[in-house]
Amino acid sequence: MIWMRNIAIGVLAMTFAACLLAGTIAPASYAMQFREEPDAAPSHQHWLGTDDLGRDRFSRLLQGTRISLLLAPAAAFLTSVLAGLIGGIAGYWGGWTERVLMAAADLVLSLPWLFLLLTARALMPLNVSPMNSVAITFLILGLLGWAAAARVVCAGARSLRASDFSLQARAMGCGEARLLFRHVAPNLQPMLLTQFWISIPVFILAEANLGILGLGVVEPLPSWGSLLKELSGLTAISGQPWVFVPLLLLIAVVTSFQVLLVDQELPS
Amino acid sequence: MESLLKLSLSAHYANKPAVLREVTFEIGRGEILGLVGPSGCGKSTLSLAILRLLHLKRGAATGSIEFQGRDLMLLRESEMRALRGKEIGLVLQSPLASLNPALRIGTQLAEAWRAHVKSSREDCNEAIRQMLSTVSLPSDDEFLRRYPSQMSVGQAQRVLIGMAVLHRPALLLADEPTSALDPVTQSEILRLFANLSQRFNMSILYISHDLLSVAAISHRVAVLSAGQIVECAETAQVFRNPQHPYTRALVDSIPLQALNELAGNQHATARTAAAGSSK
Repeated sequence: MIWMRNIAIGVLAMTFAACLLAGTIAPASYAMQFREEPDAAPSHQHWLGTDDLGRDRFSRLLQGTRISLLLAPAAAFLTSVLAGLIGGIAGYWGGWTERVLMAAADLVLSLPWLFLLLTARALMPLNVSPMNSVAITFLILGLLGWAAAARVVCAGARSLRASDFSLQARAMGCGEARLLFRHVAPNLQPMLLTQFWISIPVFILAEANLGILGLGVVEPLPSWGSLLKELSGLTAISGQPWVFVPLLLLIAVVTSFQVLLVDQELPS
Repeated sequence: MESLLKLSLSAHYANKPAVLREVTFEIGRGEILGLVGPSGCGKSTLSLAILRLLHLKRGAATGSIEFQGRDLMLLRESEMRALRGKEIGLVLQSPLASLNPALRIGTQLAEAWRAHVKSSREDCNEAIRQMLSTVSLPSDDEFLRRYPSQMSVGQAQRVLIGMAVLHRPALLLADEPTSALDPVTQSEILRLFANLSQRFNMSILYISHDLLSVAAISHRVAVLSAGQIVECAETAQVFRNPQHPYTRALVDSIPLQALNELAGNQHATARTAAAGSSK
C-alpha cells in the first residue's frame, strides 16, 4: 500500500524535522513558566495551552519528542549491537558458549519486562539531574532489550556457520575471527537492521510507561512519558482535549514505524 | 611421476558407521585423478578430510595424508590454515551457495588473496585481474562490483575456480564442480580444469558421479564404492576393461556411442555383441 507508506514517511519526516528544529520553532523554553496563566486553553501564544505550572505545552511537546525520538534510536542501536555481538558469538561458536549465552538470554526473556525495567531503574539513584535521568533511562532500555534479538541473531549465525560459503572461506585459509567479522557479520546485517527498527517503537512505549510511573526522564525535562503522565488524572483533564495531543503523536509515530516495517517485509 | 599426495584414510560421522574405510590412493604432481562413485559413498567426505575440515560436519578422520612429504594429520591447526587455499584449493559443487551473498565479487577475491599474502591494494588488484583473465572472466570494475546473485551459475563457478587457484596451489580438490551446470558450460569448465592443470602443473582430484566428465579430463580414475576404493587404473584401462562389478555397472550406464568414442574398447564391443544376441 504505497499511500500508507507515503503517509507514514510524511508523519515521521515532519515529526523528526519538528524535533530537530525544536529550538527554533518552539515559542518558549520547555521550563519557562507563565505563572499568570496556569492550565490555560490553546491560544495564539500557547498553541496547546499551558500545564498546571504554566509551561507552554507545545514547546514541551517539541522538546519531549526530540528526547524520545532521538534517544529511542540510540537505545535501539545499543540493543542491536549487543544482540549482534552476543547472538553472533553464541551462534557462531556454538557448544558451551551458545548454551551459556542463550541461557542468559532466556533468563532475561523470562522476567516480566516492565518489572525488570522498574527494578533496574529503582536500583539507580533517583535524585539525578534531568540530563542524567535521560541517559540512565535509555541506557537501561538499551541494556535490557537485547535478549529476544540475540536469540534471532544466534539462529541466523548458526545457520551461516554451517553454510557452503563459510566452508569455502575456511578452505581458502580464512581464520575464525575474520570469518565471523568479515564473512558472517555482513549476512547478519539485515537481521540486525530489522531488530533496530522494531526496537524503536518498543523503547518509545517503554520510556512512556516508565514516565507515567515517575521513573523516566526527570522534571523539568519533558519526554513523551512525562507528558503522558498528565493523562493519569482523567477527571482533571475532562474538557481539555488538547492534552491528548502527545498521545495522538505517540500513536501516529509508532503506527508509522510499524507501517514502514510491514511494508519492508512484504514481497514486492 | 613424482608423488604429491598419498593417503590412507578412514572417516566417520558422529554415531554413524564408517563412511570411508581405509581409502588408499596416490596423486602425482600435475596429474588429474578422477574419483567416481554413487551419491553418499563418501566422495565429499574425502575432500573435507584431506583439508581437515570434516569436524565442521561433525565427522572425524583417522589415518595419514602425506602431502609434499608432510603428514597433514600431524599438523597444527594454524599450519593447516596456512596450507588451505595456498597449497590445496577447493571447489565446491554449488557455485552460488559457495560464494558469500552479502559480499561483492571483488571483496571475496581480495579476501581470498589477503588470507595468505600481505601486499598493497595494487598488487592484490593485479593478482585478481590476472586470475580473472585466466578463468576467462571480465576483470573490469563493473564485474568486480557485482554480487553473486548478479551472475550466471557458469560465471559463479569460474569465480570459484579462480578463487581456488588464486595462489596457484599444488593440489586442487574439485568436488562435483560441474553437476550444477548445463552441458555447454560443463564442457567449458572441464577444458578450464585441464588448462589450469597444464599451465600451473597443478594436480587435481576431480570428484564426480558423472563418469563421462571424469573420463574427459582424468589421467587415472579411482572408483569409490561403499567407502572403499574398489578400482584405480588408467582412464582408458577402466573403460576398456572394468574389473569391479560396480565399475562395470557404471561403464554399462554410458551410451554405447559415447563409450566407443571414449575408448573404442573391448567392453563396448562385448556390449554391442550382447545386445545383438539378445534380439
